[in-house]
Amino acid sequence: MNPIYASRRRKDIIIRGLCVAAAAFGIGWLTLILGSLLWNGLSSLGLNVFTQMTPPPGVKDGGLLNAIVGSLIMTVIGVAIGAPLGMFAGTYLAEYGRHDKLSSVIRFINDILLSAPSIIIGLFIYGAVVVPMGGFSAFAGSLALAVIVIPVVVRTTEDMLALVPTALREAASALGLPRAYVITRIAYKAARAGLITGILLATARVAGETAPLLFTALSNQFWSVDLTKTMANLPVTINNFVNNPDPNWKSLAWAGALLITLSVLTLNIVARYVGAERTPK
Amino acid sequence: MSGTDSVTLSEGAGSMVNHPVKLAVKNLDFFYGQTRALKGINLSLYKNIVTAFIGPSGCGKSTLLRVLNRMYDLYPAQRATGEVLLDGQNVLDPKLDLNLLRARVGMVFQKPTPFPMTIYDNIAFGIKLYEKLPKSEMDGRVEQALKGAALWNEVKDKLNASGLSLSGGQQQRLCIARTVAIKPEVILFDEPCSALDPISTAKVEELIDELKSQYTIAIVTHNMQQAARVSQFTAFMYLGDLVEFDETNKIFTKPSKKQTQEYITGRFG
Amino acid sequence: MSDHTVKAYDKELEQIGLKIAEMGGIAEKMLVDAMGALSTQNAELAARTVSCDPKLDKLQREVEEAAILTIARRQPVAGDLREIVGAIRTASDLERVGDLAKNIAKRAIKVISDARVPRATVGLKHMGDLAAIQLKDVLDAYSSRDAVRAKAVWMRDAEIDALEDSVFRDQLTFMMEDPRNITYCTHLLFCSKNIERIGDHATNIAETIHYLVTGENLPIERPRTPEKFTS
Repeated sequence: MNPIYASRRRKDIIIRGLCVAAAAFGIGWLTLILGSLLWNGLSSLGLNVFTQMTPPPGVKDGGLLNAIVGSLIMTVIGVAIGAPLGMFAGTYLAEYGRHDKLSSVIRFINDILLSAPSIIIGLFIYGAVVVPMGGFSAFAGSLALAVIVIPVVVRTTEDMLALVPTALREAASALGLPRAYVITRIAYKAARAGLITGILLATARVAGETAPLLFTALSNQFWSVDLTKTMANLPVTINNFVNNPDPNWKSLAWAGALLITLSVLTLNIVARYVGAERTPK
Repeated sequence: MSGTDSVTLSEGAGSMVNHPVKLAVKNLDFFYGQTRALKGINLSLYKNIVTAFIGPSGCGKSTLLRVLNRMYDLYPAQRATGEVLLDGQNVLDPKLDLNLLRARVGMVFQKPTPFPMTIYDNIAFGIKLYEKLPKSEMDGRVEQALKGAALWNEVKDKLNASGLSLSGGQQQRLCIARTVAIKPEVILFDEPCSALDPISTAKVEELIDELKSQYTIAIVTHNMQQAARVSQFTAFMYLGDLVEFDETNKIFTKPSKKQTQEYITGRFG
Repeated sequence: MSDHTVKAYDKELEQIGLKIAEMGGIAEKMLVDAMGALSTQNAELAARTVSCDPKLDKLQREVEEAAILTIARRQPVAGDLREIVGAIRTASDLERVGDLAKNIAKRAIKVISDARVPRATVGLKHMGDLAAIQLKDVLDAYSSRDAVRAKAVWMRDAEIDALEDSVFRDQLTFMMEDPRNITYCTHLLFCSKNIERIGDHATNIAETIHYLVTGENLPIERPRTPEKFTS
């Protein structure tokens, strides 16, 4: 065989081997994590998890009802605040300010915010909201989540609108449509799947955040839907329970972790499904 | 040519028809930033006449078309000087209401651009911008527009299907129907067939030929045979200059400029 | 053939066809009138025939112009291309037929005062009738795009050729009989040549029709004298 060809083949085998090994290494750990989560989580998952409050230490039974509801409330409020803001900002970047200097500055800052550690956002809300208001509150927690949602939605909105063909905008303008109509009636419609996907992914992202809630909503052991008070939530509850020697708490922590993972997984699948349905060409 | 107020053309069988100027371009310059893309263009679009713009890529033919409905206004650092008179009114006037201008001067683009909505809504959408119509009347207008674009028979049973489900040629005719629906006076076609197969192209060309009885039409095409087929007047442009503007019959049989002759016979550059 | 998607194209082809038909009608009438004028010594009819020619020339130009524009604008191919090329060829044949008929009419005017042997035109008249029938047939074949009928015309031209031979011999006899007949008979000889050429143009048109309809050319060599004329 031609020696050059032989060495090329050898190189190919080596590179391919390295790639497969790296992939197997990564996926292997992921499988282990998911496996132990399923193993431990499924065995602790019972009806009580959805019907009972978090138990005080040492008490048998108990569930995660207050934490689940708290997480739902704060996530919904966080997304409800963050998503519109993010969409408006993303729309500005993609539509009105596409060629502005200001836009590139905003885009740069948004990218920093996107990769900022969530604990810093928690600290910021602590300083900006919790301290002036004189205490932890679910509202502050929601705000912290909103701040995390905003950059994600800004980014996806801008990217998705950028994918809408210029020709479509020109065609709409050529009918005599005012700019706002072109954006809301045509561009949003064409990018709808992408925009929804972005919001779903942002929701999935904040659903499991612990750090920003530690400094803002904190957590409690009771049923509470008062936004001005502390509110139980899954991530912080897991954080608290898992560090405790009480086996009942540990087991509930596993159940909570599984719930979060499953809901994030569901959101991702829904997002994929919506995104594949009609992506802008 | 631009000095005259009208032209008289023979419409077969010896009858002569007079066509007044609908849109007059006078000393038009156009700039992309510092680049001068159009140099002192003077020409007229006559009523009920198809005027074709031909020339090699970058000659400014599309640019000229996009000046006529101020499409360039969507982008910064593009500006035009001179005059474009639509029935005597200067289109380049900064105080002009752009949306009303574009309702009078419609445009059909190179790639079919149906809106992401049903076939019915694609047409109704534009009409709703200017008129509030009861449902029954709107149905009539949609039907009329689709018939005008020779698409009605193909889509009448699936008006609620997405506009994107149509074939390329049908999509382009949908776009023409959408433009016709808002009753413009001038229709600009920017390479309307370059993404279509020959059969669809022939259909669109036939449509353009029919539309000219009601509208003033300008078409940019890099297929000069298409210009020969659909137009009565042809403008040959090169590097931002209008080289020759005359009756299509003359341009394609005895052009007066050497450059035109070379371009249309394929001896260019 | 079914219609073009672009209706204006059909209209252009139709217009060209109509013009050819009009030319055919004029050429046919010119031939018949010229022959009539010659055999009845009708100077007025002859003059009228001569005055028809410019109209035929004008129509031929119009056909050519329309054909050129159609080629330039529609880029015809296949059947359409043959149609256009056929129209150009047919128009030029018909225009020549008109010229030849005009020439006969002019000679008719010249020989009226000198019609010494009226029986000399009898054979010529027969030839003219045959040529007129050929012309009429070929024009019918053109308007109905009938290749079979066109080929029949093409075959029959040999009859005219044979008649010309006999007319030629007749005229020679008249001239030998009386030298004062020479001028008159020479004119008649030219007329017979003209009619023979008109027959050739009819044959040309027949060939054009055959090509137009089938896309095939007729063979270059036509059986010049069918059996029945050889013996």
